[in-house]
Amino acid sequence: MDTNTAVMENMESNNPKKTFWEAVKDFFGKDLVQYIFKRVLMFIPTIFLVSILTFFVIQLPPGDFVSSHISSMLTSGEMVSEAEAQAMREDYGLDKPFVVQYVKWVKDIIWTPTDSSYYRINHSHHNWKYSFSYGQNVWTVIAERLGITVGITAIIMVFQYAVSIPIAIYSATHQYSVGDYIFSVIGFLGAAIPNFILAIVLMYLSYKWTGDPNLGLELKSGVGPFLKSLIIPLIVIGTSGTCGIIRSVRAQMLDEIGRQYTLTARAKGVKESKIIMKYCFRAAINPTVSGLGGILSSLFSGSTVTALVLNLQLQGPQLLKALQTQDMYLAGAIVMVQAILVVVGILLSDIALAFLDPRIRYSGGSR
Amino acid sequence: MSRKLKTKEDYYLASQWTLMGRKLKKHKLAKISLLILAILYIGALFADFLAPYGLEEFNSLYKDTAPAKIHCMYEGKFVGPYVFKLRDELDFSTFTRHIYEDTSEYYKIRLFTHGEEYKILGFIKSDIHLFGVGEGSNGGAGAKIFLFGADKLGRDIFSRVLLGSRISLTIPFASAFISFFLGIAIGGLSGYFGGVFDIIIQRIIEVIGAVPQIPLWMALSAAIPSGISSVKIYFYITVILSFINWTGMARVVRGKFLSLKNEDYVMAARLAGVSTWKIIWKHLVPGFMSYLIVSLTLGIPGSILGETSMSYLNLGIKSPATSWGVLLQEASNVTDVAVHPHKLIPIIFVTITVLAYNFLGDGLRDAADPYK
Amino acid sequence: MDKDNILEVKDLRVNIHMMEGELTAVRGVNFEIKKGETLGLVGESGCGKSLTCKAILAINDKKCEAKGSIKFNSDESGEVEILDLNPKGEEIRNIRGKQISMIFQEPMVAFSPMYTIGNQINECTRLHITKDKRESKRISMEVMRKVGIANVEKRYNQYPHEFSGGMLQRALIAMALVCNPKMLIADEPTTALDVTIQAQILELMKSLQKDFNTAILFITHDLGVVAKMCDRVAVMYLGKIVESADTETIYANPQHPYTKGLIGSVHKIGGNREERLFSIEGTVPLAMNLPSQCGFYDRCTVAIEGLCNKIEPELVEIEPGHKVACFACDNEACRKECERARKMIPELEREKARQEEAAAQEAALRNKKKLFGRRA
Repeated sequence: MDTNTAVMENMESNNPKKTFWEAVKDFFGKDLVQYIFKRVLMFIPTIFLVSILTFFVIQLPPGDFVSSHISSMLTSGEMVSEAEAQAMREDYGLDKPFVVQYVKWVKDIIWTPTDSSYYRINHSHHNWKYSFSYGQNVWTVIAERLGITVGITAIIMVFQYAVSIPIAIYSATHQYSVGDYIFSVIGFLGAAIPNFILAIVLMYLSYKWTGDPNLGLELKSGVGPFLKSLIIPLIVIGTSGTCGIIRSVRAQMLDEIGRQYTLTARAKGVKESKIIMKYCFRAAINPTVSGLGGILSSLFSGSTVTALVLNLQLQGPQLLKALQTQDMYLAGAIVMVQAILVVVGILLSDIALAFLDPRIRYSGGSR
Repeated sequence: MSRKLKTKEDYYLASQWTLMGRKLKKHKLAKISLLILAILYIGALFADFLAPYGLEEFNSLYKDTAPAKIHCMYEGKFVGPYVFKLRDELDFSTFTRHIYEDTSEYYKIRLFTHGEEYKILGFIKSDIHLFGVGEGSNGGAGAKIFLFGADKLGRDIFSRVLLGSRISLTIPFASAFISFFLGIAIGGLSGYFGGVFDIIIQRIIEVIGAVPQIPLWMALSAAIPSGISSVKIYFYITVILSFINWTGMARVVRGKFLSLKNEDYVMAARLAGVSTWKIIWKHLVPGFMSYLIVSLTLGIPGSILGETSMSYLNLGIKSPATSWGVLLQEASNVTDVAVHPHKLIPIIFVTITVLAYNFLGDGLRDAADPYK
Repeated sequence: MDKDNILEVKDLRVNIHMMEGELTAVRGVNFEIKKGETLGLVGESGCGKSLTCKAILAINDKKCEAKGSIKFNSDESGEVEILDLNPKGEEIRNIRGKQISMIFQEPMVAFSPMYTIGNQINECTRLHITKDKRESKRISMEVMRKVGIANVEKRYNQYPHEFSGGMLQRALIAMALVCNPKMLIADEPTTALDVTIQAQILELMKSLQKDFNTAILFITHDLGVVAKMCDRVAVMYLGKIVESADTETIYANPQHPYTKGLIGSVHKIGGNREERLFSIEGTVPLAMNLPSQCGFYDRCTVAIEGLCNKIEPELVEIEPGHKVACFACDNEACRKECERARKMIPELEREKARQEEAAAQEAALRNKKKLFGRRA
């Protein structure tokens, strides 16, 4: 509320009569806008690097997908000659150097011309290539699970913050109290037990108590069953992150509570609860906001193992399978999409941070 | 009184490390953690001797058996700790194997028994194990003592936990150290020089952080040539873990450098003509070394969990080499856990180690904070 | 309580609980401040000045515990005993910022970097004067103008990092004065500033004091500032007041060797250039497990063996309004204090011997237990 008044007052003091160009100049002259502009520009090289790393990573395992495809064809009784295999390799450009393959991959994703055969069949300008293990267009395979993955990840993230921040504030304001100790112990334990084991144990308990191990996500049978099937993944994937957030916000809060300006506020006669929220919490939340991207990334990675154990229809297991079967374009696409999501998350958290912390705008973000 | 005064003087003269050590001694949880870690590492060092059986020693009769029942009284008489031998019998009506304890004779648990040969600390040959079972009361042989039960091949989980700790406890430690130095070097350069170099390093850190870890692991571990010795696999896994983990440390170091490089004492050193490397190592790094040690300690548990899930996904250490993650592969589904809960025992070791490192790190953090 | 006094501090003690033990940082401080008067509290770092003023507002750390009595003469509710109030309660919050406000040492960290200066000054106004947004903003801006901040319209919406140190200190003073308090505690308000800015700020405080008729408790270690600002001075050493008098007397006729040392360590215009500045040897001892002796004994050049290292002198009045706590001063009152103390020494010695014996016994017992425990 206080920031709102500050912003309103800011507007009031500006002179309302300005020409359009002056307004534009004013807008871009602002530290905040400059900062965001710079930050968005940085996004491009990052994505470029991500694509290189992704392509490098999916290239790294020895052998290629044509060989593994051929071997699977052979086992199913089809005959493939060496010449045919060679032709397939050439067709996919596998005989070309790394750089050439990479450029072709990226070029086709960004823009496939209208006169290509791909466009004629799929009516899409973005050719993500073909998945061998699914026998389908890569994008079709991804799209199926992308929505669920993003949705579940978002739910887990909201859950994490909703649970951990109040606990962290409580722990910091009641340092060394019984509650603080209990939360600390739970936090430490949650961070010390590997996700997959927690998943198995919870599944076992669920099976023992309700007769249903709660495998997989109930996507089609309504809200109730869906929420029920969400409980274990939420606990398992959410817990480790929650513990991390509690610990970092608590430490930050304790730091802020000891600051001089907290004392100044107290000497002004400000209420204790307002000091905590307006001064301490506001400053303590910054590192958490800036860690948002990292948390997103760890959620994607953390959910892979859990999803395998719990048989969730998320992208993680799909990716693992793709990597194991050398289905390189599918793997590349999933890695790319997840990485881009994380980078966008980092970008958004940096921009949010600039809104929250005036010092960052001022220093142009060179923290 | 005079003793008090002396400590007061010491207090003013003590270096930051002495002060840290002193404060750490007051942190009970950290002290206990340090003790536990010491026990675990000593256990790993003498694992061959402490474990009653070798890594691959198996007895198919004992497949999936629960932890051994240790008795003391035999037919109303105290005979000291002993176990019974297992026997199997085919039930011809159902054609299933029926396993039962053969109570006709007992096997006393003995100290310093002879077993599989090994080398103490890698060079002295020996076949003595701390404990084991000897001959039966009626001269029988072949009984086993599996303290934590057996896995699906009939191998002793207790021995395998001990022997596996050699990998599980050292890989994270080694990789944390490598990422520690990578992080200081790269983060330091990035923070100290700034400019284009900083922007590039920043992007690289961001990118490595953005790409999901699983494919990174997979790709990197798939790149490990097949058919190489387990020592080399060990080395590669260490490098892979540190390759992924250095970014966090680099970010911390960079931030500290940015805030410290404009301090007056650094400016003074620069004006006095001190070389860049010397400024970094003599003036900047010691300023937040304690902080880095804390990050290092808190980074190890992450590596332990990382190694565990990596091995669990069969992307890390592969048998015959054994780590705790490999042992946990046996607990990969609900049925296993429901029928043989003893297969979760290795997790207790993982959890205790991670907790100990976390508490130690927390204690170090408190000790390193000059305002506490 | 005297009607003219706005604040009376009696036998104030502040203990700090630390891991190493209990530290008594303020050991029985007495003073009072009249309405509109400026009292200077002078002493080295670590002598307990800051803790004393935090105790007055009851904003001490959790680890600190204040005992004794701090009486405040409030216009609204009459005489208030601050130490009896709940430090988080409504009553004390009504005194803080409104009737007693405080200016802190380091203006750079006294403002939260997250909010504009205007927001933080306005918070005080909104809390104590008016809930009306426009009115409170007008008042805040007016005070900002009064403390000499130019271009207030713009400055009001700026963040602390956009201010210079001197400007921030002005803003801090504006924040302290915005509610027109009866008393101002200034905790080394000019230490972090350079000399020219320092002079400006002091001038400003003086003129504002005249306008608002505010009493000021001025904490500093700078005797030059004291001479400029204060009506009366109290010199603090190791958690106790060792000498107090009006400013002129302190400079003309300092009695305590510590005060003499302080005054000797200040530059004098026209003094002999060849002469070295006087400096007091050593540092303030840690106020933990203090022996029964004068706190200044270890650093004193005129200490009397067998007296100063046996018992701590009390504050006695040597002439009206001039008090000192020293055995070595050459006047009637101090000589009397010496005699009184000498009589007490044998008793103190016996008491000390008794305590030491008891401590030794306890230690022996503990050792025995330890040995026994180890064997078992």
